[in-house]
Amino acid sequence: MNPQNKEQAEIKIAVKNLNFFYGDKQALFDNTLDIVANKATAFIGPSGCGKSTHIRCYNRMFNLYKGHRGEGEILFDGQNILNPDVPELELRHRVGMIFQKPTPFPMTVYDNIAYGLKLHGNYSGSELDGRVEKALQDGALWNEVKDSLHKPGTALSGGQQQRLCIARAIAVQPEVILMDEPCSALDPIATSKIEELIDELKKKFTIVIVTHSMQQAARVSDFTAYFYLGKLMEYGDTNAIFTSPQRQETEDYITGRFG
Amino acid sequence: MSTASPSKSGFTSDQVFRFLTSAFAAFIAILFIVMLSVLWHESQPSIDKFGFSFLTSSAWNPVTNEYGALIAIVGTLLTTTVAMAIALPISLGIALFLAEISPYWMRRPVGTAIELLAAIPSIVYGMWGLFVIVPIMASSIEPWMYEHLSFIPLFSSPPLGIGILTAGLVLALMVIPFIAAITRDVFLMCPQNLKEAAYGLGATKWEVVRDVMIPYGIKGIVGGVFLGLGRALGETMAVTFVIGNAYHLSWSLLAPGNSIASTLANEFTEADGELYTSSLIELGLVLFLITFIVLSLAQFWLHTSNKKRGG
Repeated sequence: MNPQNKEQAEIKIAVKNLNFFYGDKQALFDNTLDIVANKATAFIGPSGCGKSTHIRCYNRMFNLYKGHRGEGEILFDGQNILNPDVPELELRHRVGMIFQKPTPFPMTVYDNIAYGLKLHGNYSGSELDGRVEKALQDGALWNEVKDSLHKPGTALSGGQQQRLCIARAIAVQPEVILMDEPCSALDPIATSKIEELIDELKKKFTIVIVTHSMQQAARVSDFTAYFYLGKLMEYGDTNAIFTSPQRQETEDYITGRFG
Repeated sequence: MSTASPSKSGFTSDQVFRFLTSAFAAFIAILFIVMLSVLWHESQPSIDKFGFSFLTSSAWNPVTNEYGALIAIVGTLLTTTVAMAIALPISLGIALFLAEISPYWMRRPVGTAIELLAAIPSIVYGMWGLFVIVPIMASSIEPWMYEHLSFIPLFSSPPLGIGILTAGLVLALMVIPFIAAITRDVFLMCPQNLKEAAYGLGATKWEVVRDVMIPYGIKGIVGGVFLGLGRALGETMAVTFVIGNAYHLSWSLLAPGNSIASTLANEFTEADGELYTSSLIELGLVLFLITFIVLSLAQFWLHTSNKKRGG
């Protein structure tokens, strides 16, 4: 399924007939869609519909677990990343991920950001300092933590922790950032800060965000995909999806009559 | 004021509950103080006679009534150090394998086996050490060490089988189940999300373990290590079997020695005379203090490193 009105947009990820299995249980059925570069794409749908399962294929996170397997094609810049020949560590370097609950590592604010950088390259001390500062600025956190860089990351507030995780992800300069309900554990103010940040981030990165909040999908995304029971029901321009959905199920879900 | 409704006696159930639990907690503190003061009181004759030199003297001679704790202190610390040096990496390895790497069907049986090992009485470890480990040490391992490593003072005495090294080895086998079982539980408590976040940055399994799982669980791991350490410091029967029970101060791990606990076990029943008994009790006091200092240092280290890591 292609997003409508995408004109000549560059396709970052092309998913073709993606089927996913938890052991014997099939969780995704023939998902086909294109993720447009430098846009925010929102995945909506009721719990258990496969949105998270779907994005966890983009960095092969499912590979950590025995019996989880994906079939089909996920073409990332034309390369099928479901192919085991594509090195996992390199793929995860290119695809950052933000989780439902903030996941600061048990180390200082500085080390949280420097950690990913050190995994992938050798930087001198001053170079590392510069990149950490840049990442924290891009994560809209620098002004709040510049005096407490060497305090534990876990001492920050929930919203700050989540922006720390975003800064940590963008520090290694990925191409795509996956966000799995990034605001579901945050209050409205922290949420609005993250949403502003997403607007800023999509200038540089391709964003895929799973959300349970219809309003959030409407506010932050350019394209929206509606999933139900592992199937992609409808996909298109966010305005079009929210104002004139093509399918009855989509309309029922976004108007709150279901789910 | 409490909002709980008062019972017939005029106390609310909250107040009764608070009183009961405080009493239980106070009991531990009182026990601690009583034990310490009894040990202190009973060791007075020895403290009066030898003073501080009790800790620095290597004499232990019931015939001339001269007693010094140095050999037993050194023996206790050396066997414990050897035991922890062997047990720590092996336990961490076992815990990681069980928590992260092993197939699911294996986790429960191996975990249960480890817990069973922890339940074997120490005298069984001692007998097994004497009849199985000592001959192996005497016939192959220690001769090799003596031949190739005797330029290091730690391996500079003839191999006998019994001695500090063998005692440390048996102690290691005894504490591994404790440390491994607790560390495994700590690793299992690490949130899946946190691990996925590290994998998501492109970390390898080892990097996730080293940089995320161990720091995240460091408190619990240190707790497990100190449970093992406490056991190693005070272990009596198993050590008595294999340490050699010799009053001989040596740098060599291959030489027989003595530990505080094994000295007490060997000599308490045959101690005649006030000074002899009193010196043995002072040894007990020293062991008490060593354990106390070691545990306090661990708490202090944990406290300062927590500030840095933010665990």
